[in-house]
Order: sequence, then C-alpha cells, then structure tokens
Amino acid sequence: MPADAKLQQVAQAICAARKLALGLEVGSGAFKHTFEVRAADGTARALKLYRKAGADARTQREVDAITRCSHPGVARFELIESWKDGSGEYVYSLEEFLSGGTLTARLAGGPLAIGDVRALALSLIDTVGHIASLGLVHRDLKPDNIMFRTAGGTPVIVDFGLVRDLGQSSLTKTWLPHGPGTPYYAAAEQLNNEKPMIDWRTDQFALGVVLTMCGLGRHPYELPEMNPMQVVDRVARREPSAPTFNAWAVDNGLAPLVGMVAPWPIARFRTPPQLALAWQSTGGP
Amino acid sequence: MPAYHQMGHDSQNLLGEVSGFGGAIISPVNEVEAGVSAMVSSRSSNAYEFIFDPQLYFPRRADRGQLATWSYFPKDFDTADMTSETWWGTLLDALASTVGRVGARAVCSPATIAASMFTNEYYEAMRGLADRLTEFCARDGFRVLETVIARLPDLAAPNRALEIASVVSNTKAAGIYLILLCDVRPRDELRDVDQLKGAMRLVHLLEQSGLPVLVGCSSSDVLLWKAAGATSCATGKFANLRRFTPGRFNEPEEGGRLMAYWFEEPLLSFLRGSDVPRVQAHGLATTTTNPFGSEILAQLASDPAKAWVGLGWRQYMHWFADVEARLASGAVAARDLIRAAERNWQTLEDNDVFMEEKANDGSWLRPWLRAVVEFSKP
Repeated sequence: MPADAKLQQVAQAICAARKLALGLEVGSGAFKHTFEVRAADGTARALKLYRKAGADARTQREVDAITRCSHPGVARFELIESWKDGSGEYVYSLEEFLSGGTLTARLAGGPLAIGDVRALALSLIDTVGHIASLGLVHRDLKPDNIMFRTAGGTPVIVDFGLVRDLGQSSLTKTWLPHGPGTPYYAAAEQLNNEKPMIDWRTDQFALGVVLTMCGLGRHPYELPEMNPMQVVDRVARREPSAPTFNAWAVDNGLAPLVGMVAPWPIARFRTPPQLALAWQSTGGP
Repeated sequence: MPAYHQMGHDSQNLLGEVSGFGGAIISPVNEVEAGVSAMVSSRSSNAYEFIFDPQLYFPRRADRGQLATWSYFPKDFDTADMTSETWWGTLLDALASTVGRVGARAVCSPATIAASMFTNEYYEAMRGLADRLTEFCARDGFRVLETVIARLPDLAAPNRALEIASVVSNTKAAGIYLILLCDVRPRDELRDVDQLKGAMRLVHLLEQSGLPVLVGCSSSDVLLWKAAGATSCATGKFANLRRFTPGRFNEPEEGGRLMAYWFEEPLLSFLRGSDVPRVQAHGLATTTTNPFGSEILAQLASDPAKAWVGLGWRQYMHWFADVEARLASGAVAARDLIRAAERNWQTLEDNDVFMEEKANDGSWLRPWLRAVVEFSKP
C-alpha cells in the first residue's frame, strides 16, 4: 500500500475512534500530513498525523513549542496522542482549523496594498515577539506557513516543525552545510548553519522577506534577471539587499523592512519591542 | 554616562579624592568581602554605582589574591567541568547573593578566557552565563552587564566585529562590559589600525543595537572608544598597568620602584617626571586646570626631589574622568585631540626634544587618527 494511502487509512481510523468526520488533506510535509476534520456539531479541526520514522525529536519539539504558545497569532492546540495499529505507531494532534487559507493563496492575486502590508507586519511582529519571548525560533516563516483564522482575519503562524528551542541543544549537526528551513526565506546564518547566530532575528529576516514579497512581489535581495537560487546565494554571501528594494521600502513608508533583512543579525532590530516601535513609527493608515 | 574607576591594588583611598567618576568596578582579587562591603556602604549613594566584577578569567593561582576567600569562588575551580550547567548554576546563584551582600548595584557576568580560539560558540556560551545570571539577579533588581572578552588581533578580520556583536547581542543583560585583550607589551600603546577599527566597530555595533557598552581597563585610548560611541569607559591608577616597573615600556620587575608619571593631554601621553621640564620649555605642562596637576607643578617648583607618584595617579584619573565627560558632551572631539597632539609631537621633534623613554614618541597617534576616521567605513 502506498505510504500516503496508509496515512489516509490511519487518519480515517483515528476519526472513527474520536467520532470525527475526515475531510480533505490540506497539507503535507516531510514528517506530517494535515487533514481537515469535523466534530458532530460541525466544528472544524486540523488533524495532524506525524510519521514516526526519524521525526520523534522534532515532533516532540514542535508539540512542546506549540503548547507553550498562547497567542492569537498561533493556532490553538487541543491534544496530542499516540496511535498504534498493526502497521506501526503514529502520533497525531488536533488543533484549531484555520479557514482563511494561506498567505500564499492570498498573494496569488498579486501584491497587497501598502496598508495591508503594514497591518500584516504589526500583527505578525507581535506573534513573532511572543514566540521569541519563549526562547523559540520558528525557522520556517514563509507564506505557506502563515494562515488566516478567517478570510481576511488574523494572520496565524503555523507549522512549528523546524522550531528551535534556544534553551535546548540543537538537533542540527554542525557539519551540515546549511540548517533546516526554506532557503528562499532564510537568513544568512541559517543558510550557512552558523548556529550561535540563530535567534529570533533569524525569524525577523524571514518575516522581512515575506512582507517584501507581499508588497513588492519579489525578494529584497533580487537583482534584475536573477533566479531564486542566485538570490539565495546573495543572501548566503551577505551581499547587500537590492537598491530598488531599499528605495521602494523607504518611498512607501516601510523603511523598517530594510533593517529587518540586514545581512548580519546585529544590524537588524535587537528586540521585538524595538521592531514593533519602528513599525508603529512609520504611521500609515 | 560618567567614567568608572577600575579598582586595583590599594586604590580605595582614591575613591573619595578623585571626582568625576560615576562609579567603581570592584575587584575581589584585592580585598576580602568584609572590606569591600565596608567600602561600598561608606560611599553608597544613588549617584555612584558599584559594579562587581567576579574576575573568573581563569586566574592563575599566583594571581588570585583574595579571590579564593570569596564565598562564590568554587573550591573546585581548578578541576571542575566548566561545561556543566549545574556547576555554573551553583556559582551564579552564589554570585548573585554575594553582590547583594556587598551592596553593589550591578554585576559583570563571569567569563573565562578561552584556551585557544574565541569562537562564536565560546561567545554563545558566555552569553548564556550572562542570561542565567540575569535571571538570578532579577529577584534583587541588580543590573547585569554581559562580559565580552575580545582579542584585538581577532577584531582585525573584516567581519569579526559583526560576528561577535551578532552573537553576544542576543542577551538578557542590560549592557556589555567589554574587555579588549591584546598582544602588545602591557605598557605599550595600541597602534594596529585594523585591530583598533575592529574594536571600535564592535563598540559601535553594540551601542547601535541598544546595548550600552562599558569598556573596561581603558587608558588614554578612551578617546577611541568614546569616538565609537561607548557609553562609559573605566580606568584605574595608570590604568593599573604601570605598577612596580622602572619604565612603562619595559617588562615589570618584582620589587622595582614606582615611577611617577604626568599625563599630558596635548601629547596624549604619559611623561616621566624628568620629561616634564623638557616639554615645559616648549609651553607644555606649564599650567593646568587639573587640581592634582597644579599640585604637582607647585611641588616640582618648590621641592623637585619630593616624590609625587600618588599625585600622578590622581592627575591621570582626574584627566580621564574629565575627558570622558568632555567627549560625551561633544565639548571636544577625539579626532581634534589626536590631531593637536600629533602637531605638538612634531613641534617637539623639530626642536630636538626627545623623551626619556625611547618608545614615547607619539607615533601611535597616526594609527589612532586613521582608526577614528576609518572605523565606520565598510
């Protein structure tokens, strides 16, 4: 039986046991699959089913992280349990289902208005600040991992599968050429696996890239005629952000973006309150 | 912020005599706990901040002085596994209690001197100690300064200041206590432009990120650190570098007699007693607004044979606190002071005036000038 079909079968069995109706699969990653499920009263939930093999430590850290968070910008977590059947052992969780879709879907219609970028920034900075206050680094902020509670509603950061708890030892080997994450949104210290430099400012960089994608429609390090791999290479080599991006950010009252995506963490905003203050100072609608 | 008095051997009596300092950095090496407590309580005021430096820089047994008598100093210091979080936890808890007992209002985080390389992992570990100490001290409200030890030769590498600043700045501490290690002779002036620029860049980056920097163990190089934006600098009598030595450019010799030095701002240099009349013939070291300088000049006029080592310490420290304040307020600029000193050295040379110490020729001022001008450039 194909692996995906097997997971579908397990999800079905879990839903039957918990009196839930299994809906569509709404996401899948290296270690987990996510399904929309509904309770008898029609309330939607996200069922996350984790593959066991090789994912134990990261799964545990994801669950630990998300249960520690208590913020409207992070999906509400309900439970986590083990599931065992004849084919093996699984872990699954039930979380709030976010019906507003992803930021990726929202950007399919083109860049957002500047006012919407600013509103998104203020909301997500508050969430990233909350995550940072717990000593956590998400390490995979990107439009796919930003959802909306309802259409046009509160943005919510999801998928803590690569979360780093700065209070615990790293799961990433030092000899790896780069740390985990999505390269296109990653900061230089993440791309170069410079672990002592990875902290909440790594998330700040990714958020800066996301917000630039929202407003400008391209990466802040992208020069003309450049493909994504070349852009990532520029970030990794700590070249300066693109002059056209810098000018666009300043001209549109989004100057804090330039600091957010600075090549070195020390040149970014040191604390979440400093970042929030910079954005609040930009005014706008 | 005003300058801090870096306390060393037998320097308590200077606390009340030299004004202009906003506080003192306590050294447990030179005094037992009861003595420090008495000193702090006698001078305690809201306007004067005592900072406790635990001095755990891997001190050799011979250099420990009174350190081992302090209750926070671990009995197993020489044999302990310093990677043990439990071991550090016990030490940090005891240190926080000690700070409270002696009445200090701030404490520097413990930091060891790396055995070989000061890697990013080393700085990450030291930052971790500062963060844990901050948690311990939160109960009593002490200000914690993260101790950052940086080797000047390392800072000559183009990106090293950026790397170090990136790692140490993710701290819970309220500020940075910066100690610069160098491989020049102890009493020589710093003069490697790239090293100085790197150190200035480190200070500047940390300050720009919102972390106030206190540069410890400074001397006349206070000009460079203030030009880089350091909130405060600390010094002791002759920067604690010129004790028991017959000449500031020679290695210390046990039992050597103490030499008196005059600090001359127009030359940015320490002058031997015998050099003072040489420069006076060219209009230098003749008048001063420094009260200890006036006292020295009066004594030299009336009783030239009388020793003035102690007055020399006070004259230098008064200058340090004063110039720190002038630099901080913008009343003077480091660049202008260095340029003026360079011109004065040239005038002396043009007139065949040479100092008793061969290396005391002002030649470090050109590297300083370059460092001040170039440090902010990429």
